[in-house]
Amino acid sequence: MTGATPGRDGHEVEALVTDRYLEALLAAHARGADRGPTPRDPDDALRRTADRLARDLPRFHPSFVFEEALAARLGSVASRMRMPAAAGAEGLIVPLPVGDPGDGPGGSGRRPLLIGGALTSAALSLAGAAYVAWRLNRPAAGPMVRAARAVARTRPV
Amino acid sequence: MARPAFRNVDRPEEGGPRLVHLDRDRRLVEEAQADPARFEALYRKYLAQVYSYAFYELRDHHEAEDATERTFLAALTNLVRFEERARPADGEGASTFRVWLFQIARNAVAERRRTLRRRPEAPLEAAGSVAGAVDIERDAARKDEVAAAWSAVGRLPDDRRRALILRFVDEMSTAEIAGVLGRSEGAVRVLIHRALRSVQRDLDDPSR
Repeated sequence: MTGATPGRDGHEVEALVTDRYLEALLAAHARGADRGPTPRDPDDALRRTADRLARDLPRFHPSFVFEEALAARLGSVASRMRMPAAAGAEGLIVPLPVGDPGDGPGGSGRRPLLIGGALTSAALSLAGAAYVAWRLNRPAAGPMVRAARAVARTRPV
Repeated sequence: MARPAFRNVDRPEEGGPRLVHLDRDRRLVEEAQADPARFEALYRKYLAQVYSYAFYELRDHHEAEDATERTFLAALTNLVRFEERARPADGEGASTFRVWLFQIARNAVAERRRTLRRRPEAPLEAAGSVAGAVDIERDAARKDEVAAAWSAVGRLPDDRRRALILRFVDEMSTAEIAGVLGRSEGAVRVLIHRALRSVQRDLDDPSR
């Protein structure tokens, strides 16, 4: 950083001088010492104001209760964010037959089923995938299913 | 204050390797990006700074807490998209993470202010109370000085007050403030200089 540069108007030069003073002042405050030397100071009134603000403007800290409550909430969000890294939880689209698997491969229409995603755990996703695989290999044999199949068979295609 | 960190980078077009200033929060940020649970270290480090900024802007503890909460939640959920962009010109200890975090805080505060303006029953001026801020001061004269400084800063136009708070309370460099406010460094220097002049006149005014 350099001092006054030709072409800059008075305000910018004054602002630059003030900025250099503040650098030294705040660095000195951080060290707990008096202000450090600066090559060129702003006028006394401005320097007094800067000194006063550096000394008098309070810093605030939220309550301990708030701090810990927010820490807990962030921790909860963070743990949910870690789940997508687990296998399957990023969302798995599994084609699921509309008809019963026992109806054979010619079943009418297929719609995707989303298993997993942000609201489900990896364990649930894996359980869902396992369920679909199980259903694909095992015909349903409940009375309602058998009745529905019987009705379907009586209808013309 | 944390020591600045440097690394060697190969820049053939600039005549070989040179030192590049790194974000002083780089290690913490990388750890948090790899494991979001490690974000807590960044949260503890910057909580008071973000909260102070929000409190000076909103002048109400509850509103400041709300803006602080939104800021850190947004920072956590968007941290994977954060990219370090520290430059040597940013100065010692410059933290691009801090600039990024305060950009989020600035937006959170602006949103709260818009909400408060839509609810005239909770005006900003009434919400602000310096008493809570200076109750910790036992000396009456000192208490008055703190209250006067607080009030004078509160009467500044928004952009000047913001720049002054980031400079004096959060102790940011001009380059960092420029990053937070989206202004040039020259514009920030002028803002702060004019803000100091305004506060000086305010504090010298016997009618105040």
